[in-house]
Amino acid sequence: MNQRPPAHILLVDDEPHVLRVLRLALEREGYSVTTAHDGHSALAAMAERLPDVLISDIQMDGMSGRELCPLARRTYPDHPFLILVMTSMTALDERAWARALPQTEFLEKPLSPRQLVARLGRHFAAPPAGAATPHQPESPHVQ
Amino acid sequence: MKLNRIGIILIACALAVIALVVALLVARQQDSQAAQVRVKGVALARSLAGMPVAQLESRDTAGLLDALLAWHDDGNFAYAAITDAGGRTLAEVTGRGTVTPRVPLPPDAAAGFGERALPASASNGALREFYGPLADRSRGGAFVRVGFHQPRYAVLARDVSFLALLALAMFLVVPVIYLVIKREMAPLAGLHRQLRQLAAPGQPVPAGDDMRDMIAGMQASLTQAGERIASLEQGTLSATADNRLLQYGSKKLNAALQSLPDGLVMLDPAGGVTFVSGKVEPLLGIPADALLGQPVELWCRDPALRTLLGRYAGANRDGGQVHGGQVHSVEFSPAAVEGRHVCATAQPLSGGHGAMSFGTLVVLRDVTREHLARQAGNDFVAHVSHELKSPLNVIAMYAEMLADSDEESLRVESLNVIQDEIERMNALVGNLLNVSKLDAGSMSPERNRVRLDDMLRDAYDQALPRAEGKGLRVALDLPRELDAVTIDKDLFRIALNNLLTNAVKYNRPGGSVTLAARNDGHEIVISVRDTGIGIAPADRERIFEKFYRVSESGAPVARGGHGLGLYLAAQIVELHHGRIAVDSEPGVGSTFSIHLKSAPAPAGAAVL
Repeated sequence: MNQRPPAHILLVDDEPHVLRVLRLALEREGYSVTTAHDGHSALAAMAERLPDVLISDIQMDGMSGRELCPLARRTYPDHPFLILVMTSMTALDERAWARALPQTEFLEKPLSPRQLVARLGRHFAAPPAGAATPHQPESPHVQ
Repeated sequence: MKLNRIGIILIACALAVIALVVALLVARQQDSQAAQVRVKGVALARSLAGMPVAQLESRDTAGLLDALLAWHDDGNFAYAAITDAGGRTLAEVTGRGTVTPRVPLPPDAAAGFGERALPASASNGALREFYGPLADRSRGGAFVRVGFHQPRYAVLARDVSFLALLALAMFLVVPVIYLVIKREMAPLAGLHRQLRQLAAPGQPVPAGDDMRDMIAGMQASLTQAGERIASLEQGTLSATADNRLLQYGSKKLNAALQSLPDGLVMLDPAGGVTFVSGKVEPLLGIPADALLGQPVELWCRDPALRTLLGRYAGANRDGGQVHGGQVHSVEFSPAAVEGRHVCATAQPLSGGHGAMSFGTLVVLRDVTREHLARQAGNDFVAHVSHELKSPLNVIAMYAEMLADSDEESLRVESLNVIQDEIERMNALVGNLLNVSKLDAGSMSPERNRVRLDDMLRDAYDQALPRAEGKGLRVALDLPRELDAVTIDKDLFRIALNNLLTNAVKYNRPGGSVTLAARNDGHEIVISVRDTGIGIAPADRERIFEKFYRVSESGAPVARGGHGLGLYLAAQIVELHHGRIAVDSEPGVGSTFSIHLKSAPAPAGAAVL
């Protein structure tokens, strides 16, 4: 697990507590984690280092997740990293736009860090066939 | 028919004229015959008088008289005789059936020739006698007498055909005259009829028999027409008055329709627009001129409205059957106007208990406010659930971490965060309840005279631990004497707490919060001053709105605001007839101040 560079995860949420808990949980699993509090800072972080997985909240001041996710897809068309959108059941109509984006899935709120870790584990263990990009080879190390 | 009588009169006149002409002709013939007889008689008498007596008296001369008779026997000749003075006939010749009348000659016969009429006797008819003395003998010795029958009135056979022809010719003139008169009278008859109709419409025109009837009828008609014109004029006058009244009523109705707060559109049964009130243009964004007289398909660009109107137009056109008062509504956002919501209600416009269909009445109502309110309600629910979910989410995460983590510091952190979030939820729920009470208007403040400094001190004491936990200094600045106010203590505490919570929440480490109050004329000003991040001018106008939260990109820690605190504070202050104000400088700090009217203490009033 420690031989290869760890998979990079970008967390975007305007709730510092959420960022803190998820960072702790993910870092404990050996992921490298960057956090951002809204879409603008997320894009800035992406420009510095492309993530293997983008985990974003929807409702945020500044740039919301709804703007961020399509923009990230458009900005980096060659890097189809997984996008996980944290949403609550109350926003059912919010889901249509996310379905239109490739490689985008939902995480139900309240979010359990354990479930998130398991989900990421599955993702890196069996990367989807279409996701074979130069970026992928470093990901399956998580097992 | 009046012309019949004219025809009969004409025929009668013609017959009379014919009779007169015939009579005149016969009389003239008679006259000419009489004149002829006279000439003949005088000539014969003179010629006979010139003859010698001997020849006349002798038997031989009888042949001469006979010859005379034969010559003159044309039917008039009666006799010729020679008499002596005593009246004895010396010689004579007579026509058939005639006897020389034994009538003595008048005494003047010896003096010269004369003539006389002899009345009819038993043997003879009326005679005309010419007489004179014979030239041969001494005067008075012998006389000559010649008699002629008075000519009788008789139509001669040769005249009959002429008279018949004449009568026929005259008789033929009658139809011509009749026709001419008839022709000349035809327009007059027409005029009569028209006059009659004009005078008394609806009544059948009695057939005038003749001219006089007709003229009398015309006169009557003219009189009637005059009366009718007069009554019509009267009618026109009253009709004008009625019309004005009607116009006034119609204008009033129109004004009422125009001043209705809703827009009205009326469609005829075929679907064309017949009436548009002034309110329609701003509602639909289509000028009234573009609507009037046009079918729906031409102007309506809103599918919802078009479908609605299509139902009515179709139903009216197909069956002519009114919908039975069925009313349909549709809400839509007009294509030509931005940000407006209109509710269109269509119903059949019928009169006489549904027997008559005038088309469709469409009422357009601006429901933008209702729509926004509904949207705000939906937003409110979404917002509240989000606001509740966020702390729940955090609590769930920390609870999981608490369970998984063995590290002591993380466990403490988890417990602290969970406690904070529970507090945050509690505050949110409390504020929500108050807001809903405020919005429903069911919150009536129980106002009492309150000693403000006690209340402020309580609030200060409550805020102190929270502020010190964040490393903030808190100061209380009260004058020695503070006027009393009449307020609802519990409500006012919520407002004060919300202001103090914000002052702590949006402060910076090492900053300060000052709670102060002062008398300012008839007012008491309570202010909460912080040295926090401040509020941008654009946000300052909106911070008292419900759920408005200043967007804070780059805040180092979560503030956990829910956009209700300031709204609630402002509402509570307003409920106390006070006002709330904010003064702020971004990066330096903000001061919220509540202005309340002070209540001078009446003598003996209880102060809580």
